Amino acid sequence: MPKYFFFFLLVPFLCWSQDFSDKDYIYLKRHQHITIKLINDKFDIVQNVTEQGKFISSKKLYFANESIGYSSFSEIKDIEAYTYLPASDKKINVDYIETKQEFDNMVFYSDDEFKSFIFPAVTQGAETYLSYKRIIKEPQFLGGFNFAIHVPTKSAQLSVEFPKHVEIGYVEFNTESINLDFKKEETETSTIYTWSANNTEGFQLEDDSEAPMYYLPHILLYIKNYESNGKIINVSNDLSDLYKWYVSLLDQVDTNDLAKVHEITDEITSALNTKEEKAKAIFEWVQNNINYIAFGDGYGGFIPAGAAATCETRYGDCKAMSNLLYEMLNHVGIEAYRTWIGSRSKPYSYYEVPTTSVDNHMITTAIIENDTIFLDATDSYVPFGMPSAFIQTKEALVGIDKDNFEIIKVPAQKAKQSVTNITTKMHLENGTLKVSEKRSLQGYDKVEFVSDYTYKKESKTEEEYLNTTLALGNNKTKYTNINKTHFDNKATPLILEYDLIIDSYTRNIGDKIYINLNIDRSLSNSDVETEGRKFSKKIDYKFERHFTTNFEIPEGYQASYVPDALVFEDPNYGFKINYEQNGNVITQTKTIYVKTLSIELKDFDNWNQFIKSLQKAYKKSIILEQI
Amino acid sequence: MIKKIALIAILLTTTTGIAQHYKTYDWQKKPKLHKLSSDEKEASSVAIFKKVIVEYHADEVASEPRLYETKHTIIRVNDDNGIAQHNTVYIPMYDVKQLISVKARTISPSGKVVLLNEENIKDVSNVEEYGDFKIFAIEGAEINSEIEVLYTVERAFEIYGSETIQANYKIKEAQFLFITGKLMSNVKAYRTIETFEPVNIEGNKAQLLTIKDIPAMVEEEYATPKANNIAVVYQCFLPDQNITQNMFWTNVSNNVGRQFFPEEVVAQAKEDADKIVEGYTDLSTYKKAALVDIFVKSNYTVVKNNNQELSDLNYILTNRSASDYGIMKVYAQYLTALDVEFEIVITANRFLTKFDPEFFVPGMLRDFLIYIPSERKYIAPDRFEARIGEAPFNILGNYGLFISSDFKHYFSKIIQEDPDYSKIRRDMNISFKNDFESVTIEQDQDYFGHWAETSRAVLNLSTEQGLIEYKDYLTGSGIEDKAIISYETFNTDMNQLEYNVPFQVKTTISSEVLLEDAGDSYIFQIGMVIGTQSELYQETERINPIEMIYPNRYNYEIIVNIPEGYTVEGLESLVIDKRYIASNGKETAKFESNYKLDDDKIIITIEEFYKTHEFDLNKYEEFREVINAASDFNKAAILFKAAD
Repeated sequence: MPKYFFFFLLVPFLCWSQDFSDKDYIYLKRHQHITIKLINDKFDIVQNVTEQGKFISSKKLYFANESIGYSSFSEIKDIEAYTYLPASDKKINVDYIETKQEFDNMVFYSDDEFKSFIFPAVTQGAETYLSYKRIIKEPQFLGGFNFAIHVPTKSAQLSVEFPKHVEIGYVEFNTESINLDFKKEETETSTIYTWSANNTEGFQLEDDSEAPMYYLPHILLYIKNYESNGKIINVSNDLSDLYKWYVSLLDQVDTNDLAKVHEITDEITSALNTKEEKAKAIFEWVQNNINYIAFGDGYGGFIPAGAAATCETRYGDCKAMSNLLYEMLNHVGIEAYRTWIGSRSKPYSYYEVPTTSVDNHMITTAIIENDTIFLDATDSYVPFGMPSAFIQTKEALVGIDKDNFEIIKVPAQKAKQSVTNITTKMHLENGTLKVSEKRSLQGYDKVEFVSDYTYKKESKTEEEYLNTTLALGNNKTKYTNINKTHFDNKATPLILEYDLIIDSYTRNIGDKIYINLNIDRSLSNSDVETEGRKFSKKIDYKFERHFTTNFEIPEGYQASYVPDALVFEDPNYGFKINYEQNGNVITQTKTIYVKTLSIELKDFDNWNQFIKSLQKAYKKSIILEQI
Repeated sequence: MIKKIALIAILLTTTTGIAQHYKTYDWQKKPKLHKLSSDEKEASSVAIFKKVIVEYHADEVASEPRLYETKHTIIRVNDDNGIAQHNTVYIPMYDVKQLISVKARTISPSGKVVLLNEENIKDVSNVEEYGDFKIFAIEGAEINSEIEVLYTVERAFEIYGSETIQANYKIKEAQFLFITGKLMSNVKAYRTIETFEPVNIEGNKAQLLTIKDIPAMVEEEYATPKANNIAVVYQCFLPDQNITQNMFWTNVSNNVGRQFFPEEVVAQAKEDADKIVEGYTDLSTYKKAALVDIFVKSNYTVVKNNNQELSDLNYILTNRSASDYGIMKVYAQYLTALDVEFEIVITANRFLTKFDPEFFVPGMLRDFLIYIPSERKYIAPDRFEARIGEAPFNILGNYGLFISSDFKHYFSKIIQEDPDYSKIRRDMNISFKNDFESVTIEQDQDYFGHWAETSRAVLNLSTEQGLIEYKDYLTGSGIEDKAIISYETFNTDMNQLEYNVPFQVKTTISSEVLLEDAGDSYIFQIGMVIGTQSELYQETERINPIEMIYPNRYNYEIIVNIPEGYTVEGLESLVIDKRYIASNGKETAKFESNYKLDDDKIIITIEEFYKTHEFDLNKYEEFREVINAASDFNKAAILFKAAD
């Protein structure tokens, strides 16, 4: 029975009512004022940040921890911070600030740093004040502002002041959810834009939801152009400027010593005839031989490592892998391009925002026999021809040459491409259910299985791992004769076979045996709690699962009840279960499909209806009676 | 922190001058791949060899010996996971005077050797509380290759140290070489039957521990695997110096005692103390201590950074911020001001370290508690979700160094005074609606002890998503289509003045999937109403000793109302009786469920308890049967049949 809950300190993402008086911590004020100056065609950009927080209760004193992150493209200056205690009218300054380097498991090395400190003497009623300057060194990185964050904000404001001969671009996202006030002011030499919002609620993350930036009201800012000596000089005027900047970074890629890269390429492709075969061999070689290690190091965060170095060290980040694929593919005459793309966590379009905010990833695009193929070797298990799941539906910025690029949308992969077929044979032996099952996994179902098995099995035995992940039968299910073939990154289906012994599964009540053929209960826990839910549900990929189960009726028994067929049909998701008896064998056929990547808020009731119908269908047992 | 205050070293002159071993120690000039057994090839990675050399070298000029540390590993990586685990190297630079040498290479399956380009070594500074690191990625790693890393650092002289030998991958051969020459020293290995052999290393006295075929440490339930790794601790003294373990401990208790037990209570603390008890009269010792705990946790932040002032009492009282060490001084001031007698406990998290009173290393002295002897209760100053009560669960069962106000010390195992401290009482009333279309379950529950503390912490501090999950847990997890009709919680305030006030929750839920239409009758999956119960697996031999999170107890009464016109069958599945009898003959764990029929009611009772948190590894099967009994009950189902 013991089931323990541990308390972990999580940053709370609580959503509070409008006056926030029943809350623990709020921001009274979060203001950001950007001043842009242009001196001798050089930008001088300073972001002035002022924040004022309030501890309404003393429950969450950990909000006293403050950190200000920055990369090598910016600098933090003039930090002023103190706590004000209204009860005693005391002001206590922050007198100790540490500079720390970012360090996490996702990025192996990053030169990002942060200033870290604690507001002193916080307690119920305490107010915290913080102001600092962020010097922005590159005009490409003007950034943006979130009007709603994890705690409520009484007054949120973004303003930008810029010379009249500079043009600023901005895009609002999700601001329809708040009352955003915009004001434009002009002085003799400059223009000031100000956006303000009052009483924005705190947002919190939800299970399986789309990334928060799809919902949070925010603004992205960028410098379009400026006038110099009667000429308009573009900075981030449109997409071509972003591309020009990317090309200038690509020009710095080390293209020396490619002989070894070419040698390997020739070696793995020389026996192959078609371009497709060659591209596939190259892609798989990179997947199998280059280990993904992420670096974020100033401009190194934008400039791919040279192909020769990647080949020699056998590691690299997405840019390094993209560039290596590009070199190898082109070497054997395959049309291939380095490509920038945002993952599904990024809600932006290149057409809307011509800045680096749109993307966070690089891949390679190959054109073979008029087919456009997106190659992402950072996913070691995705088969050639399929993009990694997390870039489906996203715009790819394909770098054709120095001046030309194309935007191509990565298609969502069809459910037919990620099909799992499960065939099962069952019979009873002395009250125990004996099963032999074969699963054939394709597409993203296979990718997910291979990847999870490789990285998440840890010290578990194969039996225990399958038991906890497939969760077949009950918690007494025993696995034997486990066998897996095609456990790789190829398009050939992965075959997973095993036998099961499931004790205490059938119910013998009176002279009847009740047996449920649904030992696999896929999706039965997928209903969405609709109360208070704000964001749509994200689905990683579309899929289909087909089950065929043959149950052999034991000798001396007959089936007195076989469940009726059950079905739930919607274009986006559904299931169908049929039962059929032939002699002493009952065959259940079951199909489950999900053909969408997102369930919108308005569709939750229908989705829950689907899950509820499925739960009920899973409950249906066969009843056996002695003859 | 302890090492900064624990000892004031006595400096003496030295004599020896023999060459250091690290200068001659090297890897094989021409490396070859090693042979693996078929089992070893199945693992993600296997360490072929792991050697740690700790070398104390008495210096002719300097007053302190020099301390060198060399680490050498050869690891075979067999799959992507193995590569990912070993292709990045982090060398901690905390207390390192200089990085003397570092090299790394990969030997590919074809025999090709790729050497680390030293230019690719990067510096990372001030990482959380760990200090600086040198980091690099292994070059040329591929499946079935061997990764070899060898480096030496010179550390700032320390009298003591420790090294974990075992890892989460198999180690075919591990060596720990402890070179101390003429210096007096102690060394001890934990959790291995192998012993140190005296050896002579280039004229220096040394001791060598060799262990072959160390299995991978595995994650197991009801276990503390990280604390159970094979490990080594050591001490090496200044020339002509010898310190007994008792001298070390006495030194700590004197230093700590002097710092914590105040000679006088400072004005600000006095003022605060008055405020703490303002409006109360005739306070018991327990309540005074509870009020102090509540005050500190509502007004102070415990901080982990390098600000030295966070241990300074005056700074702390003004800024209301303290290190985990400094916050003890605040408690000491307030408790002294209110005449509450207390002791300081220095101990360790049992999930990370097993505290050893017989060997002093500061690395074991990581957690501080305050003990109120008259009440036999503990305060955990740095756990802001905890309030005064029984020992924190992560400390329970470990030894601790107890220091009293006269600076005298004693060791004691940290126990829980009341085995029934953490218990759940649960009453359920189950009825059926509309001819078995749905089942309605009314529940009334009391959570005591750690259960109550956790519940309060979650309700007060968790995210909204966390609250949803906890509500699901409190109303009965695993009932897929559960509809929560009512949900009310009581005694949710984290600040409680009385000992062990229960957290209460009253709920009503309904479900359809717990019922199954079976022709003329209905199957009711009654076992599911107690919530999801996981089965404890053991397919391979159990390795770790059994340690539960804390002793606990459950008392359930479930009343099922039989609808008119129905009879019930299958009640025998409700009867379960599993017991664990300890070697002393005492029943220390039990799961017992039974029922009685009372007219139109089935009254089911469940009693489950674990009176201690430690169980005998030799009796693992018995323990498992008790644990799994709840999951057996989970499968219980009864049949309602229309009466003829």
